[in-house]
Amino acid sequence: MSTPLVLGIETSCDETAIGIVRGRTLLANEIASSVQEHARFGGVVPEIASRAHLEAMIPALDRALADAKVSFKDIDAVAVTAGPGLVGALLVGTSTATALALALDKPIYGVNHLAAHISVDYLTHSEHIDPTIALLVSGGHSSILQIDDITSSVTSLGSTMDDAAGEAFDKIARIMGLGFPGGPAVDREAQSGDTEAINFPRGLTQAEDWRTRPYDFSFSGLKTAVARYLESTPQYKRADVAASFQEAIVDVLLQKSLAACKATGIESLVIAGGVAANSRLRQLAEQRCSDAGVRLRIPSPILCTDNGAMVAALGSLMSSAGRAPSAIDFSASSSLAVTSVSV
Amino acid sequence: MSAQLAIDTSTSRTSVALIVDGAVKWSEFEDGSTAHAEAVPRLVKKALEIENSITQVIVGMGPGPYTGLRAGISFAQAFAWARKIELRGVCSLDAIVSEAPEYVAATDARRKEIYWASYKDGRRVDGPHVNLPAEVDGKVFVGEGAHKYGLCDVATYPDLSHFAYLSPVDQPMYLRRPDAVPTSER
Repeated sequence: MSTPLVLGIETSCDETAIGIVRGRTLLANEIASSVQEHARFGGVVPEIASRAHLEAMIPALDRALADAKVSFKDIDAVAVTAGPGLVGALLVGTSTATALALALDKPIYGVNHLAAHISVDYLTHSEHIDPTIALLVSGGHSSILQIDDITSSVTSLGSTMDDAAGEAFDKIARIMGLGFPGGPAVDREAQSGDTEAINFPRGLTQAEDWRTRPYDFSFSGLKTAVARYLESTPQYKRADVAASFQEAIVDVLLQKSLAACKATGIESLVIAGGVAANSRLRQLAEQRCSDAGVRLRIPSPILCTDNGAMVAALGSLMSSAGRAPSAIDFSASSSLAVTSVSV
Repeated sequence: MSAQLAIDTSTSRTSVALIVDGAVKWSEFEDGSTAHAEAVPRLVKKALEIENSITQVIVGMGPGPYTGLRAGISFAQAFAWARKIELRGVCSLDAIVSEAPEYVAATDARRKEIYWASYKDGRRVDGPHVNLPAEVDGKVFVGEGAHKYGLCDVATYPDLSHFAYLSPVDQPMYLRRPDAVPTSER
């Protein structure tokens, strides 16, 4: 059989995203974001996101097909994010996807958003993704995963006990008046700052933590420490605070990811999710992985944040691996476990 | 031949019907206020096994609880797009009818409110609106929302046999703005 042409739909948060891939080749990556509508609320408002998805969907599909220069009837399979995410937002995507699959009588793959973030690396680097350790960092998730087979076997080694890394960026950006979303704002501000100006705490890195929960994260203490510092230091340098805060997060993310590589003997690390677009994380990861002899792969920044190409990529991998498609009446799940690659 | 696929997810009932040359050839429903997204494809799959050459999709645009409502509309617009056929939206309340010359059709809007519209001699004369049941005047009430608040004896739901004859609506009828307070007003 020839390489399948797969259309992927992602609507788990505030991006209405359509991707089209043929095997490893990315043909279209169309993203309509409602982020501007949420900015004045300081975070994503689920109902606003869901309404925006419904409006943006058909135009996004049209643009994706035009970009890919394919006709809808040539699509071999449809893939869609089945969770985790905002339930109202997810259902716009899954309802759209089931309609497309039924209209064309094609298979549908309801896939995990987190596994999709990792599988997008397949479109960037030619080597096999698995086995690998994966650091998945976004506004909603911070996890270290062991990927033995991206289409079927994902094990969670650890995750955040409180805030996700991206959430910490958003909260600190809000306190410092840098705007929403916080990740890019802090990244920009940190460019001219000193990463060592302030020694902010690295959560869960005491000896006891390394023994009992080596791959878990905690960012709430860091957030409090930054807030206290700002209060007690009226003359603070914004760039230094941003750089030192960012360093504290990036440092602990990499320490724990590399510890997981070492403990499992897997000399490969994929970093994925929106926070993987952070320039300091990319820079420091390269340095530390090279020192540790670990092969590092980070998708290009545009493929790190939520997109449809990643969903199409995972659908394509599932299809090529001969995995069974989802039932047409599969259920989306706002809390889909990271270990469930598909539903 | 015309073969219309009618879908409504504006109430706790998901209904799908196949209307061939103006008459209902097949219809089925499933009840469950959080099951629309699964019920729609399940029912449409059955409909397509009976008649696959659909010429138009007609969908209830509400008013109705948002998430379930959007499951139906998302499905309908995507199906029509994929098949390159016409999509028509209708007001779901218009399909909840009574034999009385004047009546109010009401569905459950949650938060102790109802979505409603009033009808006289077969035409909508007021609405749709969203209000507390006590704020709505009327002698005869029909619909799931009216039943929930004791305004009628049986719950009735949008009847898809009317869908082919209702006036078109081009936007989802949410009737409320999203709940959210800008950070500047907190």
